[in-house]
Amino acid sequence: MPNIESLSFFLPELFLTASMVVIILVDVFMGPANRNRVVRQLSLAALAVTAYLLWVQTDPGEAIFFGALAVDPYSRFFKWLFLIATAVIFFVTPYTSQLLKTARHEYYLFLLAVMFGLFLMASAQDLIIIYLSIEIVSIGSFVLAGFLKGDRHSNESSLKYVIYGAFSSGVMLYGLSLLFGLAGSTNLFDVQRALASITGPGDLILVAALLMILVGFGYKISMAPFHFWTPDVYQGAPTTITAYLSVAPKAAGFALALRVLGIAFGDNLQFPADQWFPVGNLAIGTVIALFSGLTMTVGNILAIQQNSVKRMLAYSSVAHAGYMLMAATILNTQALGAVMFYLAVYLCMNLGAFLVVILVHNKFGYDDIDDWRGLGFKLPLVAVPMGVFLFSLTGLPPTAGFVGKVYLFSVLISSQQFWWLAVLGVLNSVVSLYYYLRIMKVMFLEGEPTGETVSDHPAMTGMILALMVPVLLFGVYWSPLMGWVRASLKIFTPGG
Amino acid sequence: MDASILTILVFLPVLGAAAMLFVPRGQDELFRWIAAGFTGVQLLFACWVLWAFDRGSSQFQFEVVAAWIPSFNVNYHMGIDGLSMPMVFLTALLSFISIVASWKITKAPRGYFALFLLLDAGMMGVFVSLDFFLFYMFWEVMLLPMYFLIGIWGGPQRQYAAIKFFLYTLFGSVLMLLAMLALYFYSDPHTFNLITLISQAHKIDVMLWGIEMKWLIWFALFIGFAIKVPIFPFHTWLPLAHVEAPTAVSVILAGVLLKMGTYGLLRISYPLLPDQTIVFAVALAVLGVINIIWGAANAIAQVDLKRMVAYSSVSHMGIVLLGMAAVVSVREGGTMAGAQLGMNGAVLQMFNHGIITAALFLLVGVIYDRAHHRYIVYPSDYKDKALRGKLGFGGLAVGLPIFSGFVALVFFAGLGLPALSGFISEAMCFLGGFSTFRTLTIIGTFGILLNAVYFLRAYQRMFMGSPNERWSGLSDMSPREIGMLAPLVIIIIFLGVYPSPALNVISLTMNNLIELVNAASSLAGM
Amino acid sequence: MDSLESYLFIGLVLFCFGLYAVMTRRNGVAVLMGIELILNAANLNLVAFNRFGGLSEQLPGQVFALMVIVMAACEAAVALAIIINLYKTFQTIHIDEAREMRG
Repeated sequence: MPNIESLSFFLPELFLTASMVVIILVDVFMGPANRNRVVRQLSLAALAVTAYLLWVQTDPGEAIFFGALAVDPYSRFFKWLFLIATAVIFFVTPYTSQLLKTARHEYYLFLLAVMFGLFLMASAQDLIIIYLSIEIVSIGSFVLAGFLKGDRHSNESSLKYVIYGAFSSGVMLYGLSLLFGLAGSTNLFDVQRALASITGPGDLILVAALLMILVGFGYKISMAPFHFWTPDVYQGAPTTITAYLSVAPKAAGFALALRVLGIAFGDNLQFPADQWFPVGNLAIGTVIALFSGLTMTVGNILAIQQNSVKRMLAYSSVAHAGYMLMAATILNTQALGAVMFYLAVYLCMNLGAFLVVILVHNKFGYDDIDDWRGLGFKLPLVAVPMGVFLFSLTGLPPTAGFVGKVYLFSVLISSQQFWWLAVLGVLNSVVSLYYYLRIMKVMFLEGEPTGETVSDHPAMTGMILALMVPVLLFGVYWSPLMGWVRASLKIFTPGG
Repeated sequence: MDASILTILVFLPVLGAAAMLFVPRGQDELFRWIAAGFTGVQLLFACWVLWAFDRGSSQFQFEVVAAWIPSFNVNYHMGIDGLSMPMVFLTALLSFISIVASWKITKAPRGYFALFLLLDAGMMGVFVSLDFFLFYMFWEVMLLPMYFLIGIWGGPQRQYAAIKFFLYTLFGSVLMLLAMLALYFYSDPHTFNLITLISQAHKIDVMLWGIEMKWLIWFALFIGFAIKVPIFPFHTWLPLAHVEAPTAVSVILAGVLLKMGTYGLLRISYPLLPDQTIVFAVALAVLGVINIIWGAANAIAQVDLKRMVAYSSVSHMGIVLLGMAAVVSVREGGTMAGAQLGMNGAVLQMFNHGIITAALFLLVGVIYDRAHHRYIVYPSDYKDKALRGKLGFGGLAVGLPIFSGFVALVFFAGLGLPALSGFISEAMCFLGGFSTFRTLTIIGTFGILLNAVYFLRAYQRMFMGSPNERWSGLSDMSPREIGMLAPLVIIIIFLGVYPSPALNVISLTMNNLIELVNAASSLAGM
Repeated sequence: MDSLESYLFIGLVLFCFGLYAVMTRRNGVAVLMGIELILNAANLNLVAFNRFGGLSEQLPGQVFALMVIVMAACEAAVALAIIINLYKTFQTIHIDEAREMRG
């Protein structure tokens, strides 16, 4: 579809961009006194309008801007996840003591910019846009990770982020350039058609391109061995940003990776389909299975040794990337649905866990696990939801995390492939229980009930409880969420 | 009533737990009464179910089926037969009695009683579920309250005990999850329905890693169940958890949770994968005998009364396994009657052991509440050097006649004295085993001798001889304590002299299961 | 000399130099320079593929390369700002010396 006609399909993103420009202008003319408040309110309003524009968009699948972007239910599903995550972070930011000393108006703008990049990532179906969107998200995230200017950890965090980030996207770009050379086009569908006809010497370059592209995606979703930035960035960044990075860019990374692998590296243009085979019989499934097993094992084993809660959750998020990659080995409709379902659940439980970290940090300035002693008796309204989030992350019923894991394992078992990975996956769940239980232990098993409770922050506690509701609700009745996922399993393909 | 009674049984305690959220602070008295009220009503409902249960039918009764997650073919499917009926009644009875036994809990009573009710709901759910997914949900849900009940209200090593219990059982259940999903995806159409799967599961004909898939599924299920039973060598979590748990939780652990392992084998492994069951029966008998001897030998070595009782559970569950192994009696040169004796005896023993071990733990709790220790003999590393190696009690019969009477009776039931309930079921298991695995069973019977050794020696050391002045001031059992033990003792005596009411409930279902197992495998041409 | 292979070879050499710099240099700015080499290796590939792949009419490779140049500039600006910030707090631009978080 040509450019002018495409605009009407691009309204959420267009509005987002326009509102960023307006907010920057308003920001310039505001006095320092109520800058933070006004920018936050304007940004929230922009989010609300974007959400409305997304809501009224019901196209079954359309390629816009000459095929650069796809507007389909699949991308909309992820855009809703990004909107929810961004809104939650906007909501809790003024209650985060870490950020109270700094001017936050630019922070909101950067978040909006990152969200715009995430929207592009969910829709991208052109090599140029893929690189562009990843870079938009990354550059915004680098700044946000280092937003606490005088804080040494925050500085170190952004430094590591920018070096690892720029390096991996550079490697990915080199891979994309090879892919472009093989295909002669930047469009994913053209790439697929070109790859399907390649035989012989092109294969080695194709494998190199594929691996280099996996480096870029692997960095975005914290896949081992490209996860080294994760613990340091998560620990040093402002906790709101950590929470955001742990869910939104990871979801976007999966959205993009699955689309690119599924379309460009599939042996036909039907995607998603009941069965998916890689182009030229490349062993993509096996490669991803190896990465998946490595990622979950590395994440879980290293999480055990952590004493900082933030760092432990960072490694746990690495492990969760590994679980989701389990389904990516198969890449059929069912696998896609399982990953989407898990990402939606993961959004709630991981955001919830990080909000608890923020609240505890506000109240007590704690970060070490041992400092959380007796929290269950001091702050029951926060500790109990934390327990729910942790059990959900472990994958125990009756939480949504359990259902999500059942779907992930189902993908492997119904396809009757990679049994070893399924066994490794469940054993990893047992290992993960060990360190999640460590937090439970200090919260509930240590310390004595004194009968005294600390007053908790009503707004934060309310948000935490609100995130707990879907985790429990979808744990016993997940048809609505699964229904939404199934309705969103439509990816734009030419002729499809 | 018929269709909703099981739902009520399962979710009544959940309602109770929810009600506790609305009790204002400082009303600690109220929590006990709410818990006692809800479990009491649950017990009444369970009694009604027992009364209304049709003993002349081997079909599932009070069945309820409702679509839950249609897209994944998960159903809310419950029902009970002669295998689950005794377990349902046992769960309701022991839950109520445990609440009464927890009357003196003062640490965070809201949490304690709420978690206890959730545990109750989880256990009840396991025994009535006929959908594997539902079964698995309840199976796992139970772990969470158990972890906190041991970890918060337990003894000095409670944190370690709680985490060990949790990790062990989760390890077992994640393998079970894979087995469950494999059964689901290999059935056509995909189903979690445990009744439909009976005609589906044995059709699986796939190899994986050079092993038959059916065997892999069987072993994954077996490990999950074996950890719960616990079957040697998966038993190491048990003594620690039992000893560290508060009295009422030990009662539930030994009385109900252990039964879930054997229940799972009988409900899922036996009917779904009969070929594997038949081949494995010898191994099951061997494991059963190891359990009997190993548990008893360890019990003899214990100086802590609670540890001794905990190991006696290992031994008694071994008898259940031996009875269960007798399902293959006909093939091993025995008779159908032998198989029936063994299988019926196994279920009866599950019930009887639940009652007896609950009574044992309650009695340990009674003495521990008073003396604040429970050493039969002080261990050699006891902190007070003067007491090392000395008897912990002695001559208690003089000062505590009622207590001694109860202990004597329950100990005798534990060692299998005729006219008490344990005798009947153990005899049935051994007779069934004898008709099937002669040598093994003879070795197993030595376990009975060993059981007698430690029970009698403990009784003699604690209650006979000259009274120990240190404990002369102890008061005898209170009316509340007598009240919570009396029903158990009545059941022990009643089933000891007249077991047929219980056997009537069990037998049709078990005889059916024996036929199912043997028939299915002959179809497969083994 | 004017063949696709020679351009690709130069691109590969640049890529390897960049990779080597990123792996071995501990100076933050030097690492950034290594990353720029990698990006430019990719740019060279893109332009060369466009030139020799018979795509000279639509110029997707050139467009891609232009986009990369723009993004690289943004990225360098942000990265340098972060390194300056690092210098203010740590008094060093050696990435090894900013190692307070471990585990």
